[in-house]
Amino acid sequence: MNRQRSPRGLSAAGIVIAVAVLSLLVTPSVRDGVALAILMMLTVTSALILLPSELRRARPVLTRAATSTMVVSVTLVATFFFSSTTDFNLATGAAMAVTLVGLSFLTGVSGQVSIGNGAFMGVGAFTMAIWSNHHATTPIAVTLLLSVVAGALVGFLLGLPATRLRGPYLAGMTLAFAVAFPAILTYFNSWTGGDGGLQLPNAANPPHWLNALFVHGTSSLTSSTLWLTDITIVAAGVAFFFMANLFSSRVGRAMRLVRDNEVAAELVGVNLNRTRVLAFVISSAYAALGGALWTFLNNSVTPATYSFALSIVILSVIVIGGIGTIPGALIGGLVYAYSTNVINWITNQTGLNPQGNFASQLNGIIFGGLLIVTMMLAPRGVAGVYYTLRRQRASKRGDVASPPKETYAEA
Amino acid sequence: MIRVQDLTVAYGAVKALVDVTFEARTSAITAVLGANGAGKTTLLRTISGLKSPVAGSITHDGAELTLMKTEDIARMGIAHVPEGRGVIGEFTVEENLRLGALTAKVDAKQSLASQYERFPILGERRRQHADQLSGGERQILSMARALIANPAVLLLDEPSLGLAPLITAQIMATIKELCASENLTVILVEQNASSALRIADHAVVLNVGHVVANDVASVVAEDEKLRQYYLGMVR
Repeated sequence: MNRQRSPRGLSAAGIVIAVAVLSLLVTPSVRDGVALAILMMLTVTSALILLPSELRRARPVLTRAATSTMVVSVTLVATFFFSSTTDFNLATGAAMAVTLVGLSFLTGVSGQVSIGNGAFMGVGAFTMAIWSNHHATTPIAVTLLLSVVAGALVGFLLGLPATRLRGPYLAGMTLAFAVAFPAILTYFNSWTGGDGGLQLPNAANPPHWLNALFVHGTSSLTSSTLWLTDITIVAAGVAFFFMANLFSSRVGRAMRLVRDNEVAAELVGVNLNRTRVLAFVISSAYAALGGALWTFLNNSVTPATYSFALSIVILSVIVIGGIGTIPGALIGGLVYAYSTNVINWITNQTGLNPQGNFASQLNGIIFGGLLIVTMMLAPRGVAGVYYTLRRQRASKRGDVASPPKETYAEA
Repeated sequence: MIRVQDLTVAYGAVKALVDVTFEARTSAITAVLGANGAGKTTLLRTISGLKSPVAGSITHDGAELTLMKTEDIARMGIAHVPEGRGVIGEFTVEENLRLGALTAKVDAKQSLASQYERFPILGERRRQHADQLSGGERQILSMARALIANPAVLLLDEPSLGLAPLITAQIMATIKELCASENLTVILVEQNASSALRIADHAVVLNVGHVVANDVASVVAEDEKLRQYYLGMVR
């Protein structure tokens, strides 16, 4: 076994070193080169882990870790070369995707609908902003975790009705929260800064450890806003890794069982109420993380962002991406991030007055239209189309051949 | 052993079960027979805690079940295979089986392997979605799922539902084998009286919530009056 693997391991190490040397040669600043080399090595290593299909089948957690690492490191490498606008869009997409994957989990796996996830996002966003204004020295990771905890707590309180309410009634309750949320923010204006919102105090300064790694301004990572983008992407990657595991974990299976067959769930010993509330808590914690990352990325937050409209946009975007899937959330996040660009482009091309009535409604019109088209042509979203195509191809190849009926007779 | 004593269960004003008393012994199959609406499914639902009784008691090896929560009863080793099987179509066979080990303290991998050994057909189809299985395979799957947690009691609700006679006979034979090899207490609810009586040790006949017969299976099978009036079996 070992003897068989060693040539493969050697060639892998060779590739890694070659890539590292190349990236050191290509980049202008040596320190950027080191960063790129590390990222490239990570990419190649995770790609090599993913190659053997036996390993993919036997070690799903390792596979998910390698996939997350690969996607994150490839994106990070790309951010070095993209324009700052593209970087910002990517990071916005990543932050939104974190929120979306939480909603995707709640709706797709646990089968409950929340129209309040925009407000849960706001909980995270304002926790981030308020905490950083009072304790500017707290490390970013800790502040992000605090936002997640705040989101989970609010999710728990609003999830409690899920033990009694179902379907549209539960959705109605979350809707009430989404509608009330901006008013709550304005009411506590001494904390939230009222309509003007809050600025993050040390917006332009990268954290010490990043500075220490790259020393004064030599790296484009710390001299521009690139570090904001990259921290957001890494945080999103970690969140996605956990969610991917959750989807196929014991808890995830229990939730899908509760969704599909409550009686069967009870009969295998699942506590229905606990499972439902847990789904709510997880979903709102993810929404809060998304909101916190978004605040971090923008360096500021305003109550108007977390209006009821945001909750609706989130819901439409995840339907377009594909509910109940991991890639669906990523697609949805990117759709959201680029929607502003597309809308601006349309306004420019058609010569509409950007301040005009029609142009300001364009957002709603486009998302509404996309939603209708998706529901008609691909009810399971973009990711759903991919999965359907893959399943069709697999059954054509004969991997998942339809079994003849009543084969148990021959067994 | 399951002992049901003076059990009365009602849906509002309608009594589904009235003073039902019987025993289901270990390593034996107790068939519960009767027409539609006799209260058979209600009986199983009450044993597994999905429905609370108005009066009476149900004990498993001396432990009172009537005040316990469904999930706790399930964790005690009382496995209920519900009517319609409770198989999730969009899960694969293996995922469905893993559901049985969700809350039980068992080694899932080993438990899965032993079920695949017992039912090779499930091993062959482990990566297929359960909605691609035939009715008989689904019944096997739902029984295997119940067995994953190493239960002491197996409650089966209409395993023959919608199955061809040949498949029904095979399922019944499987139940008989399982009961003997695992020392299970099996309570088998069936409308298909003749199939059930063929494998049962003991039989309880229900009619609109009342026990009209409670005897050795062969005696019930030979009773002309029971056959004609309650079991719809014509010679």
